[in-house]
Amino acid sequence: MDVLKQLLGRLHPLIVHLPIGFIILGLLLQWYDRKRLTYQNVIPLIYLWAGISATLACITGYLQYLGEGYAFDTIKWHLWSGIATALFSFLMYAKFKTFSEKYFLAKIPLAALSVIFFLLISFTGHQGGNITHGEDYLVEPLPNSVKSALGFETFEEKEIALNEENWENALIYEDVVKPILNNKCVSCHNPKKTKGELLLHNPEGILKGGENGEVLIANNASKSEIFSRMNLPMEDDDHMPPEGKTQPSKEEIRLVGAWIDAGHPFEGTIKEIGLPQELFLSFFPKNEEKDHPDMEIAVASKDSILAIEKIGVHVDLISKASNFLSVSCVNKPSFSDSDFESLLSIKNQIAKLDLGGTQVTDSIFAKLATLPNLTILKLDNSVITGSTIDEISSLEHLKSINLIGTEFETSNLEKLADFKNLRKVYVYGSKVNPENIVTFKEGEIHVDYGNYELPPLASDSIVY
Amino acid sequence: MEELIQRLLQEKLARDTQVKTRRHFIKNCAQGLGGLALSSIFAGCDPLGKPKQTSQISFSERDLNPLATLAPPFGPKVKSVIYLHMAGAPSQLEMFDYKPALQKLSGQDCPQSLLEGKKFAFIKGTPKLLGPQAEFKQEGESGNWVSNFMPHFKKVVDEVAFLKAVHTDQFNHGPAQLFMHTGSARLGRPSIGAWATYGLGSENQNLPGFVVLTSGGNTPDAGKSVWGSGFLPSVYQGVQCRSEGDPVLYIEDPDGITRDLKKSTIDAINKINKEEYAKYADPEILARINQYEMAYRMQIAVPEVMNINSEPENIKQMYGVEPGKESFANNCLLARKLVEDGVRFVQLFDWGWDTHGNVREGSIDLGLRNKCREIDRPIAALILDLKRRGLLDETLIVWGGEFGRTPMQENRGNTKMAYMGRDHHGDAFTMWMAGGGIKKGALHGKTDDIGFSGIEGQVSVHDVHATILHLLGFDHEQFTYEFQGRNFRLTDVEGQVIKEILA
Repeated sequence: MDVLKQLLGRLHPLIVHLPIGFIILGLLLQWYDRKRLTYQNVIPLIYLWAGISATLACITGYLQYLGEGYAFDTIKWHLWSGIATALFSFLMYAKFKTFSEKYFLAKIPLAALSVIFFLLISFTGHQGGNITHGEDYLVEPLPNSVKSALGFETFEEKEIALNEENWENALIYEDVVKPILNNKCVSCHNPKKTKGELLLHNPEGILKGGENGEVLIANNASKSEIFSRMNLPMEDDDHMPPEGKTQPSKEEIRLVGAWIDAGHPFEGTIKEIGLPQELFLSFFPKNEEKDHPDMEIAVASKDSILAIEKIGVHVDLISKASNFLSVSCVNKPSFSDSDFESLLSIKNQIAKLDLGGTQVTDSIFAKLATLPNLTILKLDNSVITGSTIDEISSLEHLKSINLIGTEFETSNLEKLADFKNLRKVYVYGSKVNPENIVTFKEGEIHVDYGNYELPPLASDSIVY
Repeated sequence: MEELIQRLLQEKLARDTQVKTRRHFIKNCAQGLGGLALSSIFAGCDPLGKPKQTSQISFSERDLNPLATLAPPFGPKVKSVIYLHMAGAPSQLEMFDYKPALQKLSGQDCPQSLLEGKKFAFIKGTPKLLGPQAEFKQEGESGNWVSNFMPHFKKVVDEVAFLKAVHTDQFNHGPAQLFMHTGSARLGRPSIGAWATYGLGSENQNLPGFVVLTSGGNTPDAGKSVWGSGFLPSVYQGVQCRSEGDPVLYIEDPDGITRDLKKSTIDAINKINKEEYAKYADPEILARINQYEMAYRMQIAVPEVMNINSEPENIKQMYGVEPGKESFANNCLLARKLVEDGVRFVQLFDWGWDTHGNVREGSIDLGLRNKCREIDRPIAALILDLKRRGLLDETLIVWGGEFGRTPMQENRGNTKMAYMGRDHHGDAFTMWMAGGGIKKGALHGKTDDIGFSGIEGQVSVHDVHATILHLLGFDHEQFTYEFQGRNFRLTDVEGQVIKEILA
């Protein structure tokens, strides 16, 4: 008898779809037939079947509840709404049958009943679905932003926020390892959904391991499954996270490995554990190398640009993403110091200035100091000596100066030490002596002397 | 006069019928009807009832000068591209993709599992595996592998980012070259350089925006379409310059025509054209005026920039140039000069890399070594020379062939070949990029133990294109050109930027 009970119980997921189908069919037919009224005899019949099959579904459902050991709290809403659906089916049947005219039913509009019926069957079905597939079944595929907007708990934590200043003081587990695990692992390894009986949302779970035992072997990343599985090839069935889920980056995997090799501490800062900075570099904010200052600037007037282009100087937007301009004299070799005045109308927008191969002299530097956002400066193949180059030391965005093929003197190189943001200086082919290598600001300013050579090799002349 | 207008109208009609398709007609019908309906609605709404303004002819600077510079949508990492194509497909297994396991298996039959369902250009039956014919060492701080065929390249290995698992679906030179340069193995698409100059124009108004230089005694099998403009306006196609003789054919004034006479001729023609423009206000006329003037300027500028004799002796030695001859070294030096002068895209083709093993020149242990020697010093010199001029930060260098070569020895016609050679192979081959926005010393992609196929970081030709466009400041999915009723992209419907090799 118990066997029969359990078997019948297990037929519940099958039988429930009968009343759902009948009810939806009935409602659709009702809507379709609202004007013609030609199927009015069929609809009550459908609702009768709906009621009968719903009753069967209730019985099998109850048996399943008894047989499969669900907690009453889990299923109570589904149970009561299921019974309500069965009763409502008979009620709809009655509404359609003529004998209902004598009863209170006649006073309730059919449309209202139909809407309630539809809501009821949807609610019941959804509750049932939640029991079999889990409450987050429908929500899970949604992006995290939508999930949290809908009020569901997500395990996605803040991005790893490290930078040049704070990285050593960040907590190794709380600020680094935990966000990685939360972003990439915890959606399947949490108290609600515990794949492989493994919990990765807290230290206890991580230490306890899963159905295959421990996932962490202290100081041995390659033997620790949590690490080795992430390193398996994508095709491997044991690869984690499984195909289709967001994969951790190479840097994240490497970091988890380094953390395990350091004895997987859950407390302490990066400094205390002594992990090297290069492990964390990829989590630092990207200093995107740009050819202009990282700020907004007003758009340059079209007339000023046209006026400058008229004298043969090219003026171009660096990109459509900003209003900064690149100015080039590639087709204006006659450009001289006195022509500079023409550029003043766009002085705030000039970020790149190419005066290579022009007639400018050292007195250009005083004028260049009036371009507050100058970032990249080319003065190559001009006659400047750099005696007054310190005039532009106030340009706080200036990153690169090209002085190749100029008369620039070795002694003037030292004047660059005061430049705030200067990174690169090119002096190949100038008067600067490449033997006399100057480093200043601890190598922060890279001077490229350009004395690269490719000495002849014996193989250069061997013909095979 | 009236007769002239009649003739012009007729010509326009004839042109239109050639160009317009049924699709245009249907589209115009739909727009026309919609427009009619809308105009009647709007006319009724206009409270002031202003008379309609007659439409004015408007044109942009682009109409007048098709090579005028345009800003890219996003911040560009590079201004120019130098693309080095080794036509014929170099053997990655003798240059960069070190496979010690292949050495051990050398001489053994290739496993059937690898051959099943594969098509090769010449290999028949069961070929034998062939170990690398070069010695490899890890070089530089990056520790990337370089063979002894490229001794000078070792010096710049930390500047480049390798793509070890590029794949293509073409295994014959012509289609594969077309695919590599136009994103399609069939004719008719614009080349990368054409897309770049169409999208960005070119800075130097005295030089072409897209220059092509060839060496190795031949031009690519796919013909000039590999630098063609496809459906883009033909002004964007590559201009082939020569390092031997006149840099551009017919650039010299003919005998007896002086520079002054030329100038006054062009002035006279332009004067007539300007009168025409005053009459018809057709921007095409302005474009023509502009082209005449540009051609005149180019007559001076091109021979100047193409003259490598003016370079200092140490530079010539560094590149290993041979002035007056056609050589890859000359072309590398020219490429630097062109980029230095603001040319947008320089495309180099070097012919002679098809190492099947049928002749001495086409053997992987002898002929290939000679080819490697011809490019080794020039490439290293190009990278270093750009670097010291501050140009490497704003230039992208791309190196590669149209596909790679098999780990098996070629057995053309199921016979033993005269020399050691490898067949065409598109499943996995090596390319590299260097320059602005590229992660120095990076390595992306990995091939299996014998170098047959990619097992990690596989990238397609479309991915390479997407990356080049990305570095120039484009989103390859947004950069389109409407042709025959649909928007075309260089990457068609594929391609992903290879982030792993970006700085």
